Amino acid sequence: MSNKQIETQEILVNMGPQHPSTHGVFRMVLSVDGEMITDVQPYIGYLHRGAEKLCETMDYRQGIGFMDRTEYLANFNAELSYVMAVERLLDIEVPERANWIRMILVELNRLSSHFMFVGAFGVDCGVFGTPFLYSFRERERLIDFFEEISGDRMMYAYFRPGGLAWDVPANFVSRVEEVLSSSEQGIKDMDGLLTNNEIFLSRTKQVGIIDGKAAIDWGMSGPSLRASGIEYDIRRAEPYLYYNDIDFDVITGINGDVFDRYFVRLQEMRQSINIVRQCLANLTSGAILADAAARNLRTPPGEVYIRTEAPRGEYGIYLVSNGDNRPYRLKIRSAGFSNLQALRDMVIGSYIPDAVVILGSIDIVLGEVDR
Amino acid sequence: MSENNENQQLDSFLDNKTKDLFDKLWNIIEKNINDVSITRIDLEEKMSKVDLIVSIDKKDILNLFSQLRENENLSFDYLRCLTAVDLQDQGIEVVYQLYSMSTKFNLTVKSMLSNDDLNIESVTSIWRGANWYERETSEMFGIIFNNHPDPRNLLLPEDMLDVFPLRKSHPLAEIEVLQGEDIEPSH
Repeated sequence: MSNKQIETQEILVNMGPQHPSTHGVFRMVLSVDGEMITDVQPYIGYLHRGAEKLCETMDYRQGIGFMDRTEYLANFNAELSYVMAVERLLDIEVPERANWIRMILVELNRLSSHFMFVGAFGVDCGVFGTPFLYSFRERERLIDFFEEISGDRMMYAYFRPGGLAWDVPANFVSRVEEVLSSSEQGIKDMDGLLTNNEIFLSRTKQVGIIDGKAAIDWGMSGPSLRASGIEYDIRRAEPYLYYNDIDFDVITGINGDVFDRYFVRLQEMRQSINIVRQCLANLTSGAILADAAARNLRTPPGEVYIRTEAPRGEYGIYLVSNGDNRPYRLKIRSAGFSNLQALRDMVIGSYIPDAVVILGSIDIVLGEVDR
Repeated sequence: MSENNENQQLDSFLDNKTKDLFDKLWNIIEKNINDVSITRIDLEEKMSKVDLIVSIDKKDILNLFSQLRENENLSFDYLRCLTAVDLQDQGIEVVYQLYSMSTKFNLTVKSMLSNDDLNIESVTSIWRGANWYERETSEMFGIIFNNHPDPRNLLLPEDMLDVFPLRKSHPLAEIEVLQGEDIEPSH
């Protein structure tokens, strides 16, 4: 029987919401013709908790906790956007020491989030075990360190509009150095395990390609956009905190495939270590909370859209105030939301096992997608 | 604030390059759309860039956006964010945050919808990324985006079509009380 006589029929395959490869509660319905994916229908919203509406009923300090719960793998980055939006409306100057500590924590959080990505991505590619456990060991060290500072492993609520909740412990600098050197070794380990592994390369090279133009059109940001060759990093394009004074490279990929999205993140981790070292050299002593923000958090009427570079891309806060002590409207623009839309372009035309790898390579956190 | 004042303020904050871009942008808007008014100018001193806020009539939205995107001096190719703000009696305002990868220029565009006519053209034909943002804004505020390719609920349940949670008239606390009352106590 020749191939022409075989009739194929399109069937629907449901993946999720409870599926280990969906990184949370994400559901996609794949239309497949044999093994080939012809269409994909993503469904989100399983983790929608109405954070934006809830923030309208809470005062500014209570809102910090909600930011932690939307982006639960890069909490410091999420808090940063939020407190910067409030500070911009209040028009207060943050003490220098607080800003340097913020930068250190934000970059360390990027490191821990990318460790999580590399480990989980290894599992997506079918290598459970070594890379996953190696990366989680490193992430655990970082999280322990965050706990020493904020008192919580994941929901830190450590940034305040105007500065920080309290000063860091006395052994802060030596602990950061410790964590950095162990992370450096961790990155080397992951690099050695995955980057030149032949099986890993065959699973990731030339899979899930998206070109730069399409990526911009979908509103992608962060490493997923830079992997397509677009040199867009908010830390460089619109510097906030002291990123202007810091020397670092914006890493870009070439092909925009799954491997590039992995490799851009891996190199970004080295840049983060580099940034933290420079911040440590600049760390000054002094106040950690602006006097103006100590009590009065009633913002004048106005609106502001603040965006910062979180591990997954642009984390934006659109804050509208009517003069009250709570937001009139708070919109969270999360990177995962936009990045996930582009999944369709990457998945169509590939095979089912590739869909899992492609989804993993976008590095979504459903908490920030659904909010 | 009068227009003169605004211009003076701009001159003192902007370097020449940014001011050129602003003039270009302003020229195109002035040339092509008549009833455009700049409502407010927000100077982002700390972010080192300017977020210019422009508000326009909803019937001009596609016209303005396609020109903003196509014009090579502006090329607003990146839609950062799309959302809405419920201003109660005044209506609901749709807010677009635009960015240009090549010129690094930011622009915020707003369009007010009156409460008895909550519909606006979809911008998915200009930025594909607007798709989910419009679906979310639609289900949360009850705004209809005309010619949207896929106007289903995104985050809310599929059948939750007459409840608009992000409107100010949607009571958070009272709904919780009502949910409790639904359960009949057994006597």
